[in-house]
Amino acid sequence: MRGLLPFLASRVLRAAVALWLVSTVVFVVMRLSGDPVPLLLPPDAPRNEIFRVRAELGLDRPLPVQYAVFLGNALRGDFGRSIHFRQPALGVVLNRLPATFELGLTAFVLAALIALPIGVLSAVRRNSAVDQTAMGLALVGQSAPTFFIGILLILVVSLKLGLLPTSGREDWRNLILPALTLGAFAMASIARLTRSAVLEVLRADYVRTARAKGVSETLVVVKHTLRNAAVPIVTITGLQFGTLLGGAVVTETVFAWPGIGRLAIQSIYNRDYPVVQCTVFLSAILFIVINFCIDLIYGLLDPRVRSS
Amino acid sequence: MAEMTRRDVLKLTAAGAAMALPGMIPSPAHAQGAGKRELVVAQGGDVAQFDPHMSTSSNDIRISFNLFDNLTSRRPDGKLAPGLATEWKLQGQTTWVFRLRSGVKWHNGDPFSSADAKFSIERTYDPNAKMRVNTVFTTVERIEAPDPATLIIHTKKPDPLLPARLGFYGGQIVPKKYLDAVGPDTFNQKPIGTGPVRFVSWAKDDRVVLDANPDYWGGRVDFDRLIVRALPEMAPRVAALLKGEVDLITQVPPDQGERIKANASTVVSGALYGGLYVLAVNSKRPPLDNPLVKQALSLAIDRETIVKELWRGRGVVPSGPIAKGDNHFDTSLPPLAYDPKEARERLRKAGYKNEEIVIETTSGYMAGDKPMAEAIQAMWRDAGVNGKVEVLEYSVRAQKNRDRSFKGVWWSDPTSTLRDPDGMMWRLLGPGAPQDYWRHPEFDELGNAARFSVDEKFRADAYKKMTRIALEHFPWIPVIQPYEDYGLQKHVEWAPDPLQQLEIRRFNLKLRRA
Repeated sequence: MRGLLPFLASRVLRAAVALWLVSTVVFVVMRLSGDPVPLLLPPDAPRNEIFRVRAELGLDRPLPVQYAVFLGNALRGDFGRSIHFRQPALGVVLNRLPATFELGLTAFVLAALIALPIGVLSAVRRNSAVDQTAMGLALVGQSAPTFFIGILLILVVSLKLGLLPTSGREDWRNLILPALTLGAFAMASIARLTRSAVLEVLRADYVRTARAKGVSETLVVVKHTLRNAAVPIVTITGLQFGTLLGGAVVTETVFAWPGIGRLAIQSIYNRDYPVVQCTVFLSAILFIVINFCIDLIYGLLDPRVRSS
Repeated sequence: MAEMTRRDVLKLTAAGAAMALPGMIPSPAHAQGAGKRELVVAQGGDVAQFDPHMSTSSNDIRISFNLFDNLTSRRPDGKLAPGLATEWKLQGQTTWVFRLRSGVKWHNGDPFSSADAKFSIERTYDPNAKMRVNTVFTTVERIEAPDPATLIIHTKKPDPLLPARLGFYGGQIVPKKYLDAVGPDTFNQKPIGTGPVRFVSWAKDDRVVLDANPDYWGGRVDFDRLIVRALPEMAPRVAALLKGEVDLITQVPPDQGERIKANASTVVSGALYGGLYVLAVNSKRPPLDNPLVKQALSLAIDRETIVKELWRGRGVVPSGPIAKGDNHFDTSLPPLAYDPKEARERLRKAGYKNEEIVIETTSGYMAGDKPMAEAIQAMWRDAGVNGKVEVLEYSVRAQKNRDRSFKGVWWSDPTSTLRDPDGMMWRLLGPGAPQDYWRHPEFDELGNAARFSVDEKFRADAYKKMTRIALEHFPWIPVIQPYEDYGLQKHVEWAPDPLQQLEIRRFNLKLRRA
């Protein structure tokens, strides 16, 4: 493929700039938000103790120096030691990543598996009872806060029906409720977008031609419609995947799921600068990788993207 | 279990019937194999440190007080009992002699001796060790360990509360030999103590697993395995208890308590908090420098209504700055009065000109903080006080606490760490202390004298006088002494601790499950 190398090079450059901007913003915002030391020490700690701990953590140095040290270390993959856990921040974050991936992937697969067929069905059976019910539910899924859906599921499915555990991470049964909660928004968005994308294509000339040719309705939907409706669907689905990984904060807290979302929230409360910086940095990399993958898939689906 | 009554048999039958209902899947807590008895505890946050000298947070001490022992042991009933020390006595004014328990072993089999105790206490204030509890033993001058079963502590001045200090955080005894061999980082990851449970594993943000120490000197605990889970949100924590996935949950707010009580298999158990919820006052800021204004602010608070409506009766109205249950708590004092008419009168006498008085509150850090602040603002308005509620994030509050930059009044939940006014009122309100916004020569003189006196009669008298002064000047406006409520499965017999410890030793916890 001609032009793949320059394409890659420009992508990598843009990714590097994005990462630099993100980490700088996090660095500045965290330092504006307050000092971690009063949170570490008992309330009656004397002043010299506070100064000692500040020096121990390197927080007594001027901000530009701290920033330079941070950037230099980050380039070498060193995010410093967690103030709260007293361990390397990268290790603390990587430790939680599998749990978040597990939850995010399950939520994504559940959302896609449920939403795509529903979206297509709603489009094909437009204005039927199926369509109206599905789109009604999608509206609820998109507008109800994650927190509310999570607690509702715990109360109804776990407590009233006794079907699944309420929280924690032990086996597959613990995974279902948080995955549904986390996937609810994505599911709703994917279903709605799939429906409108398919509807759009169903109105196209080539579909009418296909029908006129006497092609069976199933084949019209599967071969002629879905392929052409795929580009917007892949976009929204891919973006939703990124949101799932980042949006696990609330779900992980409600279901006591030990992932990076919960770690991020706690670290922000604890003013654990190194862990927050590392979490945001890794999340940013994830987003960039996902967007990159979406771009590649575009190329495969639509030759026009490749040639431009 | 030996004395099973008819009623228990009926209960078991009912439980069996419930289990047989379709759709009921036995939960993990009850589904374990042959007779392995687990106790699953859920608290609001994960452990951060196992090294007991590195933390004072309640999520950490619930575990560290069970991994480790102290020389003295503060029981849930408030009494100080023998721990690793079997007896202690004061010689002269400044020399404490402790006789240590013999035959005690660390979880790795090493013998415990006075060298460990000496090392542990010295470690807390060793500047090179950089511990987080280095303010606990500031009264200690030097420590001797003349033989393996004797520890002698010399204090700089007479310190009547040394045995009490040894019973709370900072006083946990750590293994010298193991720590010297592996270093503090490994010790913090794989702690070894003498306590009733030993460390097995820790899955961060999920669970800590601890096994019974079969050779515990105080008797083996009444379970085989303790699992401490971190369930940060209240509603799922209660749901996990109601469903039987956990046996004990911490920090139950009053409204959730009623759900737990309504459930057939669970109960609520509470201990009166070993401390108070107070509005601390910045007495340097006019008009709060005027005692009459502060008296009016106190008189305008209808504490009975706060206890009844916001706490559903789970608290008591304080009588002064000393918590009920503490040494020298004056039982003859009446609960703080509510008299809005008198409040108006004192405001008038004080020449109050409707100056704004800011109530700085967190939202959810302290139980009921924001609702109580809003209620008090309304009560003040009815008495002619111009109050304003400002909500702070917890870390901002910590910063303001450090800078002593609160604007008017703010919530504080002082803990009586020694169950004595010295460890609460004087620790926080004394000169140079975190809440030093008000000075009074007589109060200071008495507080200082009581700290360094081993004459309890003298101390009782001093605290009586200090209470009188505090109720005239109100450096704190005490509002409520709440209950700390826990949710329990009915088969767990356990007494909660007023200082947020989780006492699971044999004398305090029994599982009535076959």
